[in-house]
Amino acid sequence: MVLEIRNVSKTYPGAAQPALSDVSISVPAGQFLVILGPSGAGKSSLMRCINRLVEPTSGQVFFENKPIMGDLRAIRRQFGMVFQQFNLVKRLSVLTNVLSGRLGYRSVARSLFYSFPESDKQIAAECLARVNMEHKAFQRADTLSGGEQQRVAIARALAQQPKVILADEPVASLDPKIARQVLGYLRQVAKELGITVLCNLHQVDYAREFAERIVGMSRGRVVFDGLAAQLNEEVLNRIYYATAEEQAA
Amino acid sequence: MTVAGVLAAEAQRRREGFRRALLWSTGALALLWFTAAQIGLNPAALVRGVPFMLDFFGRMFPPDLAHLALLRDATVETVQIAVWGTLIAIVLSIPLALLGARNTTPHALVFHATRMFLNALRSINELVFALIFVAAVGLGPFAGVLAIALHATGMLAKFCAEEVEGVDRGPIEAMRATGAGRLQVILFGIVPQVVPAFVSYSVYRFDVSIRAATILGLVGAGGLGFSLIKTMKLFLYHQTATCILVIFVLVAVSDWLCARIRARIL
Repeated sequence: MVLEIRNVSKTYPGAAQPALSDVSISVPAGQFLVILGPSGAGKSSLMRCINRLVEPTSGQVFFENKPIMGDLRAIRRQFGMVFQQFNLVKRLSVLTNVLSGRLGYRSVARSLFYSFPESDKQIAAECLARVNMEHKAFQRADTLSGGEQQRVAIARALAQQPKVILADEPVASLDPKIARQVLGYLRQVAKELGITVLCNLHQVDYAREFAERIVGMSRGRVVFDGLAAQLNEEVLNRIYYATAEEQAA
Repeated sequence: MTVAGVLAAEAQRRREGFRRALLWSTGALALLWFTAAQIGLNPAALVRGVPFMLDFFGRMFPPDLAHLALLRDATVETVQIAVWGTLIAIVLSIPLALLGARNTTPHALVFHATRMFLNALRSINELVFALIFVAAVGLGPFAGVLAIALHATGMLAKFCAEEVEGVDRGPIEAMRATGAGRLQVILFGIVPQVVPAFVSYSVYRFDVSIRAATILGLVGAGGLGFSLIKTMKLFLYHQTATCILVIFVLVAVSDWLCARIRARIL
């Protein structure tokens, strides 16, 4: 198992309901895992508990059989992240955005001069080529379309040379055609490089189409864990429409 | 483009960027060197002047604390000038800012006229305004209030206009889609977005006005500056020192107060 989430719970300060209650998921290396659920199910919180952008209230996450603790910089660079709003630095060039994926490996002193070693540039250019965006390397990020921006964001995550990519609703703000294209790139590149992908989605179609395995979440709990083929009406009801009482029962 | 192509292009761009930076910085350096010579930038003169400065400070020491009582009224007047000047500027700058912002102005001509007017207000220093108003309304704090009000209006309105131009356009579109009129769109779509920055800048402006009000007395427009110039001209340096001390305390208190107010509202 590359990643083991064990009994993770999270209650935000001042919140009445926990965002995550007792979530346990084991992810084997190289898997394309879709975490499916409605908005507010706790998908984003779960992702951020893995790379510690959010501190879990209880429970532990094991990465390659070691608990995630200590040097967060060293841990975070193993996890590439892709966001719903892309989060590219708009005023920087595409190539510089991808190069920023190397920051976790470089000293602050060198970053002060916006300087990267040639080896990093090689990595960045290769990652851009993998998502077929190398022809726009020197354009400013804000001149790209949404789909292109997300491909660059994937390249940035790849430049980290991560073991795992955490994609948080990566296609929620893209149209269906572009969304499929972006998910296609994500799956293909991850396969080629042997990267494990955890991908949050709220659209059932995409989950069926792209997932090797689906974990369904509702109100901070895991309510389904299985193959795309097992995703029937009853399961979907559990994920999307269960009330709190039904869930407790 | 291939990976090798990207890397080659990157190297080329970096070389060109470096060459351009070198060229520009050499030019800028030469120009700065030339101007330094023109305006007599001379560290040696400063070093030679140190004994004279020490002599001057020596004459001011110790400050004449008995003079403090005489400065009380002038200090209060300074604060009053700053308060009224800033208040008038705030009131004037709201309409001027809306007229002088591209997205709220009723007409391009109004926009340009307003910006021109604001530029004029900003380019004239408070002291110069004070000279004009002393001639117009006579010696005293009212001339100081008007001087501060006009200069601050120029600053505040320009800042606010730029803030208005930079608002998020989404809510404006949404307000227009509801069938709201021009002014309604401004009131509901733009004003709420601008208020925090405007309030924060107004408080900052008050702080600046306090500092400006301490010297307006140099030209007879009220406040502490009058005592400052008077004692200096009469060679009562011990009293001058007291003036400077009071101004320092006043500015420090205003700075502290403004920082607290800004922390509260932001």
